[in-house]
Amino acid sequence: MAKKLKGDFFFLSANDLKTGCVVYYDGKSWSSKIEKAKKISRNQIEKYENIAKKFENKCIIISPLFVELTDEGKIKKLRDIIRYKGLTIKI
Amino acid sequence: MYQYSEKDKQIVKNRTKEFLFQVKRRINGDLTEEEFKPLRLMNGLYLQLHAYMLRVAIPYGELSYIQLKKLAEISEKYDKGYGHFTTRQNIQFNWPKLEDVPKILEELADVEMHAIQTSGNCIRNISCDHLAGINNEEVEDPRPWCEIIRKWSTFHPEFSFLPRKFKIAVIACDTDRAAMKVHDIGLKLVKKKNEVGFEVFVGGGQGRSPFIAKKINDFVKKKDLLNYLEAILSIYNEMGRRDNIYKARIKILINELGEKKLKSLVENKFKKFADKKLSLKENEIQEIKNYFKLPISGPIKSEIPLKKNKQYTNWLNQNVIEHKLSGYSIIMVSLKPYNQPPGDATANQMKTLSKIAQEFSYGEIRVTHEQNLVLPHVKNSDLFNVWNQLKSINLATPNIGLITDAICCPGMDYCALATARSIPISQKISRYFKNQSIQEKIGKIKIKISGCINACGHHHVGNIGILGLDRNGEESYQISLGGSADENTNVGQIVGPSFPEKELMKAITTIIKTFENNKKTKNENFLTVFNRIGIDPFKKDLYETSNSK
Repeated sequence: MAKKLKGDFFFLSANDLKTGCVVYYDGKSWSSKIEKAKKISRNQIEKYENIAKKFENKCIIISPLFVELTDEGKIKKLRDIIRYKGLTIKI
Repeated sequence: MYQYSEKDKQIVKNRTKEFLFQVKRRINGDLTEEEFKPLRLMNGLYLQLHAYMLRVAIPYGELSYIQLKKLAEISEKYDKGYGHFTTRQNIQFNWPKLEDVPKILEELADVEMHAIQTSGNCIRNISCDHLAGINNEEVEDPRPWCEIIRKWSTFHPEFSFLPRKFKIAVIACDTDRAAMKVHDIGLKLVKKKNEVGFEVFVGGGQGRSPFIAKKINDFVKKKDLLNYLEAILSIYNEMGRRDNIYKARIKILINELGEKKLKSLVENKFKKFADKKLSLKENEIQEIKNYFKLPISGPIKSEIPLKKNKQYTNWLNQNVIEHKLSGYSIIMVSLKPYNQPPGDATANQMKTLSKIAQEFSYGEIRVTHEQNLVLPHVKNSDLFNVWNQLKSINLATPNIGLITDAICCPGMDYCALATARSIPISQKISRYFKNQSIQEKIGKIKIKISGCINACGHHHVGNIGILGLDRNGEESYQISLGGSADENTNVGQIVGPSFPEKELMKAITTIIKTFENNKKTKNENFLTVFNRIGIDPFKKDLYETSNSK
């Protein structure tokens, strides 16, 4: 996964298995609150891939992915912003 | 409409129970996601950007008022109070929890609904003309044939793990309201020498590589329909590619083999099946046809109320069609109110519409592939009353077939596959062209918007097709012109480089101006003008004009 990633800093995100909600890894567990998300540097990717795998195996999360951050620590890609903030339209 | 037999009820009940166990096993870790994924897909359950998404089957777009009411209740109880009607005549719920899905399926089963085969590499929902049975053009009602094909394809032991998804559409007249020729198999009921049978088209599709289906048989007898479909699916199952999901559809197979070769393979396979296996007997066909008799015995004397009310008059002109039985009308219910996500209906809208259908349309509602709904049998004298009730729930927008009646996929607001957002584009178009006079002056036009190359918004066959792309991290929109999903099916031509999101509305208004400047008569529609003048005037106005500035 590291080869495909661009950028230097990331959050680890996933979907909660039971609810499907978007969650972020806070260093110990998973939270929907992005303020708690742990900032991960590029050279830590492999370590956190393994951590994600453990949580997948425990049936807590599915589809883990790394969310690329800007230099200021904000989410970079529109898709990831939508995942975090929700719909850009009114329902 | 079709009523479940005891066998049907048991099948759906068993499937629901089976999925409940599969979900439990997944949650407690007995199944990995890799093992569970094909199972949940076969029950219509996706994982999208924010949440799971459940796609519920609406066979050939036909719903009872009881079913619509249940869909409303499910949206309130297990979702966020709305559902989304799709380009395959199904409904999607965007926020269910995995642990709730078995309960949802159980509630659906109570009203003879399910989510079986709405996803996965199997035969999907059979789609149909939304005016089936109620128009004067058709050879006969295609819905019984959709039901026969549905029964044949559900849990088909050989075709449950095809190389890729498989979509079938059925029509019964020259006017194609079901986008038949962009389906894997398209069937058209025809009458030849006083006998009714099927023209068979194969290999249509959109996505990355759009193809228009090729006719491989001029006339398949009714009794042979299922054997013929078996022959086609058998060849596809054997020979379709499984090494590359982007080259796995039957359209690629027919393109690689050639039409003649595929036809020959199908005919040889069919010869082995003919008069055996699945030959349909007349009494079997009639048994299914009996479910689709019109609820109306015959024409009546019933006049359309005329009122000095411009909104009502506009609605009559745009959204109401003459039924084949005089005294009745067909109401097209627009799910494209201005500035709303196209194809969405709230729980309140669905509940009210259910009551309207029960009282005024013999309990029947239909879903069109253009993401609108239909009240198929309304007495003329009830039209004003129905309009008032639809207006009270914002479902009386008089824009059927006009520029704000766009098809639009969920796009990046919902979909994990999307490369750009599509709904905000549709809303911009809706806001900009809201004026009824302007819309009527532009006339009939089909805008179709997809948020990625998978083309769920049917952009390839839009008169104006819009495809959302990712260009270096920014949303960008490629425009194609001249597409059509009707009986003159045509893939649109890409007009030129894509437009950043901020420039897209300017591009669309330029296209409309070019069209208007080139009309020969007041009533010429967009496609007629495009077919006459070609793409060059549009290219010039879009690109040369902006370059010279």
